[in-house]
Amino acid sequence: MTTPLTRRQFLKLTAVAGGSAAAMGGLQAVLNATPAGAEEGLLAPSGEEHIVPSVCLLCPSGCGVLVRVADGRAVKLEGNPMHPINTGSLCPKGQAAPELLYNPDRLTGPLRRVGERGSGEWEPITWDEAVQIVAQKLNDLRAAGHPERAACLYGETRGQMRPFIERFMQAVGSPNAISHDSLNIEAAKLATYYTQGVYDLPAYDLENSNYVLSFGANLLEAGRTPQRMVSGYSYMRRGRAERGKVVVIDPRQGVTGAKADEWIPIVPGTDAALALGLANVIIRSGLADSDFVHNYSFGFEDFKDGEGKSHKGFKEFVLQNYPPSRVEQITGVPATTISRLAGEFAGNPPAVAILPGKGGLLNGSINGLYTAMAVHMLNALVGSIETPGGVLAQRYFPCADWPQLPPDPVAERGRTAERLDGAGARFPLARHAYQAVADHISEGYPYPVEMLFLYDANPVYEVPGGTRFVEAFQKAPFIVSCASFMDETAQYADLVLPEPTFLERWQDDAIEGLGYPGVGLRQPVVEPLYDTLNTGDFLLRVAQAMGDPVAGAFPWSNFEELLKDRLKTIGAEWETLKELGVWMIPGYRFARRGSEKWVAEVVGRDRMSSPRDGRFDFFSRELNCALGELGADELKALGLSQAGDAVFLPHHEPVTYAGNAEYPFTLNVITLMSLGPYSAAANMPTLQEISGMTVGERWDSWLEMNPEAAHELELRNKDGVWVESPYGKLKTKVRLVKSLHPDVVNLPHNQGHTAVGRWARNRGVNGLEILNPASEPATGLASFTNTRVKVYKA
Amino acid sequence: MPRWSMVIDLDKCVACQGCSIACRMENNTPIVSPSEAALGRSMLWNDVFPLRAEEEGAIASAKARFLTRPCMHCEDPPCVKVCPVGATYQDDEGLVRQNYTRCIGCRFCTVACPYGVRYFNWYEPAWEDGLDQHLNPDRVEGRGVLEGPAVRPKGVVEKCTFCIHRLHKARARAEAEGRDFRPDEYVPACVQTCTGKARFFGDLDDANSTVSLLAQSRRAFRLLNEAGTHPKVIYLHEG
Repeated sequence: MTTPLTRRQFLKLTAVAGGSAAAMGGLQAVLNATPAGAEEGLLAPSGEEHIVPSVCLLCPSGCGVLVRVADGRAVKLEGNPMHPINTGSLCPKGQAAPELLYNPDRLTGPLRRVGERGSGEWEPITWDEAVQIVAQKLNDLRAAGHPERAACLYGETRGQMRPFIERFMQAVGSPNAISHDSLNIEAAKLATYYTQGVYDLPAYDLENSNYVLSFGANLLEAGRTPQRMVSGYSYMRRGRAERGKVVVIDPRQGVTGAKADEWIPIVPGTDAALALGLANVIIRSGLADSDFVHNYSFGFEDFKDGEGKSHKGFKEFVLQNYPPSRVEQITGVPATTISRLAGEFAGNPPAVAILPGKGGLLNGSINGLYTAMAVHMLNALVGSIETPGGVLAQRYFPCADWPQLPPDPVAERGRTAERLDGAGARFPLARHAYQAVADHISEGYPYPVEMLFLYDANPVYEVPGGTRFVEAFQKAPFIVSCASFMDETAQYADLVLPEPTFLERWQDDAIEGLGYPGVGLRQPVVEPLYDTLNTGDFLLRVAQAMGDPVAGAFPWSNFEELLKDRLKTIGAEWETLKELGVWMIPGYRFARRGSEKWVAEVVGRDRMSSPRDGRFDFFSRELNCALGELGADELKALGLSQAGDAVFLPHHEPVTYAGNAEYPFTLNVITLMSLGPYSAAANMPTLQEISGMTVGERWDSWLEMNPEAAHELELRNKDGVWVESPYGKLKTKVRLVKSLHPDVVNLPHNQGHTAVGRWARNRGVNGLEILNPASEPATGLASFTNTRVKVYKA
Repeated sequence: MPRWSMVIDLDKCVACQGCSIACRMENNTPIVSPSEAALGRSMLWNDVFPLRAEEEGAIASAKARFLTRPCMHCEDPPCVKVCPVGATYQDDEGLVRQNYTRCIGCRFCTVACPYGVRYFNWYEPAWEDGLDQHLNPDRVEGRGVLEGPAVRPKGVVEKCTFCIHRLHKARARAEAEGRDFRPDEYVPACVQTCTGKARFFGDLDDANSTVSLLAQSRRAFRLLNEAGTHPKVIYLHEG
């Protein structure tokens, strides 16, 4: 092999050749000739290599990945072609995942606080000590007869982890397994429950849809399952003979609106009115699915109840109250556009109206639930429930029943206590009210908290007005945080227990969004880098250390064993699941309208108070059971301006804004494809580098504003600005974005961290800090979009 | 000899930047500091960026557009013509390649390239505190020197290689299995990861390949074709 030229030799050569262009050309010809004997091709790989399948966890999509492991190091992730959510694709977050695994700011072992809370003074302890401390605290609480005073706040719990945590809390004797769902998917879940009787997110058969109406769903960037939506979108656009149409209804265009055929910049918080306006035109034009609305729904027409009292049905209610001319005034969408969209939606079956799996601009006052109900009813109106190209009911693998909890009077009494978040009590319609826990702890409602357990939960950062949690923690004597990074919340904990990253642990993952049952499997692709312990394993060890009866509820030696046991009914051997990383029963099996399967799985399956009769509620009987007894004043206290039948029908409730005319803009905190929803991603430098692609920003925050609005305020692109709400103010820079409603400003999420790590800390601002910290009074949903701000030059 | 080509369907592209980061993790492009990134010095061989929207007209007609941009691997690459030392060259399969050992960092090529897809290493690439553990260990040679993902030194220009190491690996695999290499055995990392399945890759000399068929589409266009570069990356219009 010849020695290549070094730069020094080359410089000598050019000196000889002289500077003329002709001489340069001659030299180039010489240099371009491949030296005799020069090697071309692959050099022998240096070490052993293999591929391990797993499932990504940098957003809730749950994409299958194949991890290339070379010399014991995870060097590259590719999409798993077998996995139905991503079929081989992988977004930038998944691609950057090795930066999570090898992140230098990860926690390396369990820590106990030694200084003041939040002082950052810690001592390392062993896992055995950690197990003993937690088991002792829980046993003390049980001995005192107050196991309910232990509460768990959890974030994204995949697969068996959620029922496992709930079971752990039940076995200890606490009702307080509190999910962060009230920050994102809960509006859609509740709406599906109060209409279709299914407490779950609807799945959408985009591949076969001809017409898609997306209501603030941010489908292609950061919905519940962005990769699943992108796959479906891509197929409906170019994967088949006829290209489906996509209409995006959102004050912000974003990438989703830009990729759509039509973008409707609606007045924020008025989606319900638009959906009902569309329903009005569809009903008036006789385009509703007559078979569905008359034979498989409840409350479409006026009806009399068992006591002979007349009630208003959806049809009359909508015809009277939501003519396009009135809807135009509320939404700012021209009546002609409303009529056209309604005709297109009903005239191009199968059509589907999509709910945001994240807040979007739906929630804010009680509007969130009714808006989501109104949107979901469009699907029922045109008969798109359980049809190809319409709404699918997500099915799951039947898992073996959990073993009966051992008899335990202490726990049995404890778990009947009222919930700490007020779900079902203070918030009558709520299942979870994560963000409300801060105020409740401070108030001592409904009882003092003795122990707070946080799993994948960073409430100090991720809820509106999160610093309220710091105050609340003063009344929580003992806080345990299971996290991979020292985040804003873990800083205030008494014990910090490092969780391995998703590339180092066992966890299953139920596949969501395609309708049919499927399960993915995370497995350690490399040996855990540090002294970490899967939270599942930690809790199993705590249960054992607590002794019977709690220990008796957990007959598994470790979390891997638990998974093997729980997943033994899916029809795949454990080894097969490990090898493939995914198992499913592909191909959705539609239930015929009114059939047994329809009643058991599609409409009404989760109803608790009203009949499971397979009828889709246009008039919500479940809401009637929950709120029917309340008087006008009580309804008003729940934020409802309506009374009578309107309470049980979807309707437009004007948003109650925090901030009066002095604050002209609605603040919309947006989630980006790049940084996603989870704090740890903000400490991945590559994601920071691509964070603000749409406006050309990197490593920073910005405020998006319509150029006309900016012109009135004499603001120019990139000017430094203050963004001020009644709750505080933040300094950032303004970026002019024409494709944005002039009354709305956008601030991207997942910047402005004060902890987590070197790349996340002290960079940009956290818009959630200045949001209205109140919860929706009836549903317990966090208020993400009912805060107004003013913007002025900094 | 295949003539490698890529087709990007902008109707399916959702500007997710998966391509940018698949490329980074595959090819070991360094992270630059925030201040360098602000100067536009990010080392993303396949960058994704917004095109300037029209400022006139009603708000509802305002439409953001995005472009994803790898090296075009031009049939007639201006970068090759201006390189004074022959560090950048076109190989037998039409790939425009970069010999880092010969590169003197004059950056004539970065100016000559009308697509802005050549990146100069202003600093010694560095990965903080163990972050380098994920670097791709693949090593390939072209003309006797390291190419592909091997980390480039300060002071040289680097660019998209159509993941030439993946091509070499696919060829080596075929050889080890004692069979002929087929052009569909290899795609660059960006094509493999594309979330919208918007990217296609293959041999433009094979009239039946997907890229050849898509190149005939009424939606097909090439960037700055008037510059006479004859790009082998072909785009398909939206809608």
